[in-house]
Amino acid sequence: METKSTSSFTNLVDQSVCPGDVVLDLSKMINQTIKLGGGLRQDCDAISVMKAGRLRFSKPHKYWVENSQKRYVPYAEDSVLGIVVDSRSDNFLVDIKGPTLAFLPVLAFEGGTRRNIPRFEIGTLIYVRVIKANPGMNPELSCTDASGKAAEFGALKDGYMFECTTGQSRMLLSSPTCPVLDALGKKLSFEIAVGLNGRVWVDAASPHTTIVVANAIMNSETLSGAQQRIMVEKLLQRIQ
Amino acid sequence: MEYVSPEGLRLDGRRPMEMRQIRAEIGAVSKADGSAIFEMGNTKVIAAVYGPREVQNRNQQISSHALVRCEYSMANFSTGDRMRKPKGDRRSTEISLVIRQTMEACILTHLLPRSQIDIYVQVLQADGGTRSACINAATLALADAGIPMRDLVTSCSAGYLNSTPLLDLNYVEDSAGGPDVTLGILPKLDKVTLLQMDSKLPIDILENVMQLAIEGCKAIANYIREVLLENTKQLEYRRGV
Repeated sequence: METKSTSSFTNLVDQSVCPGDVVLDLSKMINQTIKLGGGLRQDCDAISVMKAGRLRFSKPHKYWVENSQKRYVPYAEDSVLGIVVDSRSDNFLVDIKGPTLAFLPVLAFEGGTRRNIPRFEIGTLIYVRVIKANPGMNPELSCTDASGKAAEFGALKDGYMFECTTGQSRMLLSSPTCPVLDALGKKLSFEIAVGLNGRVWVDAASPHTTIVVANAIMNSETLSGAQQRIMVEKLLQRIQ
Repeated sequence: MEYVSPEGLRLDGRRPMEMRQIRAEIGAVSKADGSAIFEMGNTKVIAAVYGPREVQNRNQQISSHALVRCEYSMANFSTGDRMRKPKGDRRSTEISLVIRQTMEACILTHLLPRSQIDIYVQVLQADGGTRSACINAATLALADAGIPMRDLVTSCSAGYLNSTPLLDLNYVEDSAGGPDVTLGILPKLDKVTLLQMDSKLPIDILENVMQLAIEGCKAIANYIREVLLENTKQLEYRRGV
């Protein structure tokens, strides 16, 4: 009975699913633990899909629906690019492309005290980490890593920021290195910050390079690895 | 006027239980969070979804679930005679409300508290069944935007003319004055989210007409599913976590 129910789930792994699809019947499962990620929900004795995408599985028992969208649903420990929209006495209000604005406490910086509160103008682009993401409250951000160090987090000066889908931002952050970044990195020198919320910041010595990198990334969304490399080569041939 | 010929054909050559050709396209509006074009014969509708996002009017914010807003309008050029008031009239307001209530039945609003989802639907070309086409377009746009849904909502109309139940009425059949049933269902859950009828109909005939509309809704659901799955295949190239 157990193997039967597990196999029904396995049949759908890496398959496209739609809202309303039932992927597992819990009434047939005995003494098994499964973890549900984004895009899945428990509806009585059934696990059903609530977002269109691909059903993914990670050992030992994690299931989620991988999808690509323009809006971002905040999750704890995600690194995102935010735009400061307002500043209050004890926190900054930051737009992270989520359902609600996020809070960045003025003390959530390396060595943050009341005496050295950072000054962020409205419109400043910052690279931050989501530390709390509960449905009933605004997400909370931090400009430090888990050990309290600033690391790569903080305000991003100069450069160019553009938006893409959440699926593409995951692709850019994937390991091994994404083919488009791999191909560009061999020929050009640039700095890049990718947020899981679908925002990408690029900075290079010349605006020319920045534009090439940004265009290459924007064009790469629906291309395979080989197609991405060919596209980068063609772009670089044009500018040489 | 004879709407069904002795050979069993309608004015546009369809059988009584035959739907018009349907076509759908996802991602028609690049700036929207989710968008779709849906065509049912000569009826063409475009839908755009924005959200979930911060509520613009703080007075409307709901702490327990998302606020769903809907705006229906018809393009000036959508009908034969140019429309003077394409939106804001009583009919548009009523259809906006119908679409909003139908979509709220499928959106898991409790997962997105204190946020707002805006659905904008515009009829580009009208030839009967605009309400159904709008609901189908809105469903696709919501799925494209990645908004959590219980199930896909699909809608279809059916009528009763010349003692014959007809599926998916066009403008001529719609304006004949006979009964016109618009039905919206959650196909996987087998639940009705919308049921409207103009005119009167005996209960036994209503059951036949409703059954016909349900079959139409399920056929549309299968097509919408195919379109969504085809769109999702682009993820094959993405190696996201």
